[in-house]
Amino acid sequence: MATEIVGGAAVAPPTSVSGGRAARLRQLAPFLPAGLILVGLFFVPLALMLVFSFWSTDENLDVVPVWSLENYANFFDNPTYVRTLAKTMIMGAGVTLACLVGAFAVAYFLARYVSRRWARLALLVIIVPFWTSYLLRVYSWQAILGEHGALNEVLMALGLISEPSRLFVYNDVGTFIVLVYVYVPFAALVLYASLDRFDFTQLTAAQDLGARPIQAFRHILLPQIRPGIITACIFVFIPILGEFLTPSMVGGAQGLLIANLLANFFKNALIPEGAAVGFMIAAFVILLLVVFRRYLRVEDVVARA
Amino acid sequence: MTVFDQTYTRRRFLQASGAVGVAVSFGGVTAACNLVGGQGGTFNWMTWGDHYMPDQLKAIEDSDKIFANISELSGNAEGFAKLKEVKGQLDMMSGDALWLRDAYHKEGLIEPFDINELKVASQLYPFARQFDIWTTPEGYLGYPFGWSPISIYYNPKFVDPAPDSWQVLLDPKYKGRVVVENQPEEIVADMGKAAGFDDVYNMTDDQLATVKGYLEKLKPNVLKFAQQATDSVNVMISEEAYLITGNLGNEDRVKDGGGPEIKGFIPKEGTVGWMDAEMTVKEGANKALIRPYLEKANVAEYIAANFIEHGRPLFNEAAYKVLVNQGEQERADRYLYNKSEEVLAATTLKGPGTSTAKSIQLFNEVFGA
Repeated sequence: MATEIVGGAAVAPPTSVSGGRAARLRQLAPFLPAGLILVGLFFVPLALMLVFSFWSTDENLDVVPVWSLENYANFFDNPTYVRTLAKTMIMGAGVTLACLVGAFAVAYFLARYVSRRWARLALLVIIVPFWTSYLLRVYSWQAILGEHGALNEVLMALGLISEPSRLFVYNDVGTFIVLVYVYVPFAALVLYASLDRFDFTQLTAAQDLGARPIQAFRHILLPQIRPGIITACIFVFIPILGEFLTPSMVGGAQGLLIANLLANFFKNALIPEGAAVGFMIAAFVILLLVVFRRYLRVEDVVARA
Repeated sequence: MTVFDQTYTRRRFLQASGAVGVAVSFGGVTAACNLVGGQGGTFNWMTWGDHYMPDQLKAIEDSDKIFANISELSGNAEGFAKLKEVKGQLDMMSGDALWLRDAYHKEGLIEPFDINELKVASQLYPFARQFDIWTTPEGYLGYPFGWSPISIYYNPKFVDPAPDSWQVLLDPKYKGRVVVENQPEEIVADMGKAAGFDDVYNMTDDQLATVKGYLEKLKPNVLKFAQQATDSVNVMISEEAYLITGNLGNEDRVKDGGGPEIKGFIPKEGTVGWMDAEMTVKEGANKALIRPYLEKANVAEYIAANFIEHGRPLFNEAAYKVLVNQGEQERADRYLYNKSEEVLAATTLKGPGTSTAKSIQLFNEVFGA
């Protein structure tokens, strides 16, 4: 039996209903492992967290399966949680912006002016710190930014300050600096992958046609690397919403983010209370991904970033 | 031609793999049988980092083939919640004071035992084998290990006059110079003590409202929350902090680390104390290894070495004698090693309380943005 060609694609001839169903199941079969992983590792835990968030903890630290909105009411009634979530988002936005700017400069330079061989070596150098423990890297920042740390020593040696500054660590500044350090490689790799595929002669052509460099950048380069920029934003901004370790280590008592408050519940076996805060963060992340999805087709990420 | 040069069919390859698998499994089963048959094995232990020393574990592994698979414990509530989840996956659990009776035993998670059946228990101070809170009709709830009241330490170079109260932590003069351990319920309890309350794990709403004022004064002074005791010691060594809270023994730990001379005191308003023990998990699959391990690990020589390394006192009386023989009596006496009964009687012992959830909410409310 011959197959029809419709619009360039081979289409199977019509069969019976059960045969069609079987064919459709066969088509879906390759997606089964990914589907199971998605359901098992994402939807089920999220659903469990949602269920727990409506329950409560008794004085024996047992979870009591009585349904109520009390944990959510606590979240919204207590301005601290909303403020801390807002602070976390502002921190995330600031770090994302700093990472994009820094990573773009590096990636642009590597993609445009450096041979591919040397660019790969440079990217390797960017990745090398990832081979060491996250904890170790954050600890080392304590030594760099601390009151008696390397940064203060350098600034004092340069005569820029007369006594050690306490500005760089155990506050929001410390958290910001270390988060930028931790996440900038993610942004750099994604942006480099986008820029590496960009044909830079287009910028020259645009300028030949009268565009100013900034116009060429805005109207030629940016639209073409948009998926890379959005992917970099996702890779940086969303993990920061759940960042716990960096603020614990270098944020001090003044630099805590929402995940630190969430961790306090879990450390004390207050699982439903923590689940409610966790679900608020997760819901916000999902909302953000929906928003990002409007500007980013999946194939853009796969094909370009 | 070597074995690697031969060409294998799929059938031959599967046969060879199967044979190797059977051989490995047989070896594993044989080894497991040997271990179960009284020749050692591995047990799972959730504990604090100061309950063991690498050399000690290595020596027990070498001599008795008992291996401790250790997971870090960061707090009593966390450990209790974890054991409720995993039950028999753990064999031994460390816990504090009233947590043994009011949480672990009440929940039926641990196995009481006759402490006098352990030979090494004869090295303990007699009262450590008779604590009311650990005595039940079925037996003793845990093997007593260490203890300490929570004290305040200060660097006299920066803190003057010499303090004697929790109030020093709230003094605006020490903005950003205080480090406390990252245990929210304990910080709230400490501030409860500062406010003059006794039962700081069971505070009323009015008491918590008062404590909130203390926490608000404390917040600007806190430089950071120490993730572990060594963090507190390190900030005193670097002089980034002038005041820390912690267990007995920090003076020497700071000095041994090359830091300044620091002083410690128990606040006049009273303090919280802990005394911990090793519990045998009722459903522990390898709980048969616990007693042989305790017999080996708790001998006076190891306990004396543990005291020197970690500074806080322990319940082993024979270890005190070892310390005296080693010329360390002054240090042991300075840290009240043989005064546990009277010191602990003056503290509020750690335990699960009715105000835990509200304490955490309160802590988050104050220390959040």
